[in-house]
Amino acid sequence: MKFLLCKRRYTTVILPLIMALNMAPGEAEAQIRITKPAGEKTSIDLAGMTVSSDPASREFQRTLQNNLSRSGWFTIGRPGASEVRVMGSVQQRRGALVVECRVLAAASGRSFMSQSYDRSAEEARRLAHRVADDIVEAVTGHKGIASTRIVMVGTPTGHKELYISDADGGNIIQLTNDEAISVRPRWSPDGKQIVYTGYLQRFPDIFRIDLPTGRREVVANFPGLNTAAAISPDGRDVALILSKDGNPELYIRNLRSGRLTRLTNTPNAAEASPSWSPDGRRIVYVSDQTGRPQLYIISRDGGRPERLTSRGRVNVAPDWGPNGLITYSSFIDGTYHVCVIDPETREVRQISSGATDWDDPSWAPNGRHIVCSRRQNNRYTLYVLDTMGDPPVRLINESGDWYSPAWSPD
Amino acid sequence: MSEKKYWIQVSVVMLMSAMLVAGCRTRDPADADGVSPVRGVGATDIYGQPLGERFAGDQYLEGQFEPVYYAYDSAQIDAAERAKLESVADYLRQNPQVDLIVEGHCDERGSREYNLALGERRALAARAYLIGLGIESDRLQTKSFGFERPAVDGHDESAWRYNRRAEFVISY
Repeated sequence: MKFLLCKRRYTTVILPLIMALNMAPGEAEAQIRITKPAGEKTSIDLAGMTVSSDPASREFQRTLQNNLSRSGWFTIGRPGASEVRVMGSVQQRRGALVVECRVLAAASGRSFMSQSYDRSAEEARRLAHRVADDIVEAVTGHKGIASTRIVMVGTPTGHKELYISDADGGNIIQLTNDEAISVRPRWSPDGKQIVYTGYLQRFPDIFRIDLPTGRREVVANFPGLNTAAAISPDGRDVALILSKDGNPELYIRNLRSGRLTRLTNTPNAAEASPSWSPDGRRIVYVSDQTGRPQLYIISRDGGRPERLTSRGRVNVAPDWGPNGLITYSSFIDGTYHVCVIDPETREVRQISSGATDWDDPSWAPNGRHIVCSRRQNNRYTLYVLDTMGDPPVRLINESGDWYSPAWSPD
Repeated sequence: MSEKKYWIQVSVVMLMSAMLVAGCRTRDPADADGVSPVRGVGATDIYGQPLGERFAGDQYLEGQFEPVYYAYDSAQIDAAERAKLESVADYLRQNPQVDLIVEGHCDERGSREYNLALGERRALAARAYLIGLGIESDRLQTKSFGFERPAVDGHDESAWRYNRRAEFVISY
């Protein structure tokens, strides 16, 4: 690194690991970057950006500033007193939003990026996400997540339907309108499909929704329970929980041939919540074969499962992140907390705190943030947690319960 | 909780589990001692019975039977609940033209996804008990709701005890 605004401070053991795994592939050839120890932020200000007074330009500016702040890498600094300055202009021209964006190091005047954008004015928010991600990557070398999305279950209509929001909680779109229970949505690895469990045909079946076309098809509707679908990283298979053979067990189904492979055989236990390792070779899941639900890892080819969690009475809802780490929910001192475990070293870190339940964690594609549900006074809301120490940020402010979030792959 | 106390509790739980497993070996519900809960009517064979194809019927009748209630985090049929299943079996014997959907439900504690599996095991245990009473397995379907559909609103044991249940829906 040629350019360093770096005051070394303490880092915890696991953070360098997260950061190392986080590095974008192009990191080595990056020109100018600001690298800082964990938890230390770079101040940035947008005062040098002239913004027209039309609604789209204003929305762009608001969203960009909010997204930079949520990225975890920046604080919004006072104009003229920040380390990084965003210069340029935002204006509407014949229905298009035209953005000129230059990002400079305040002290040296050196340029991190200089880019023009031109999009339909209706896409002001989407464009702001894109620019935020470009700025994050240009200045820090880390992949931004502002353009990613989150799928969830919400109850504003009084029914448990699927919704998709932007990563900042804005632009909420209702995906299903079945007036039937929907459970556990998950993304396909290409981000174009959602698999979930729905009761629209009375029984819990697994469906796949193709987002570009809106088409929905059945993935599994065997007798009994069909749930917990998780598509493999190569997109070919789906891990799922079925009870058709007499007990809830973990299976893999090939999406093309429909061929089923049974992975577990526990007549006196229930399995739940599979999640694939990033290389697609292993699956982490929940089993209560010792009496309480705990996490286990099994090869995708079957064989003997290995128990992963040993601490805590109950460990559930695992999500194996792109960084190789598994986030899950653990019953600690009377409430559920979001934790992260390294499956190789078994080192555990507790991420959430406080006397409320934090459950259903899902990794952001940056391997730093986690979206989860928080239950307080018997209401569910979604929060974004930061494994590098920023306080939790509430994702959805609409009324109703919001839970079972899943972060899109990118 | 002190470490020692914890281990005493763990030992007690393990001892109790061993006793429950012993109780499960009872083949015939009529031979059961009436105290230890049984897991349906057999030990391992119960959950090994594949489910039949889903029914073709599209008429449903709910609320004809008393729900069967379960202990926390358990799918075992308590001795005190068996009479309810016997009356369901009587009805099915007298009405051979109808089928039955056993719905498994849980209280709101714990993971939503895990409770979906637990609810299915509750329904399967009730199904197994009915099979043990002579009902044909292809007349019985299971359906888990996890804790998605509580019978009683509320956030303590006074509600939870009624939410950990199996309900019976007649299908024809």
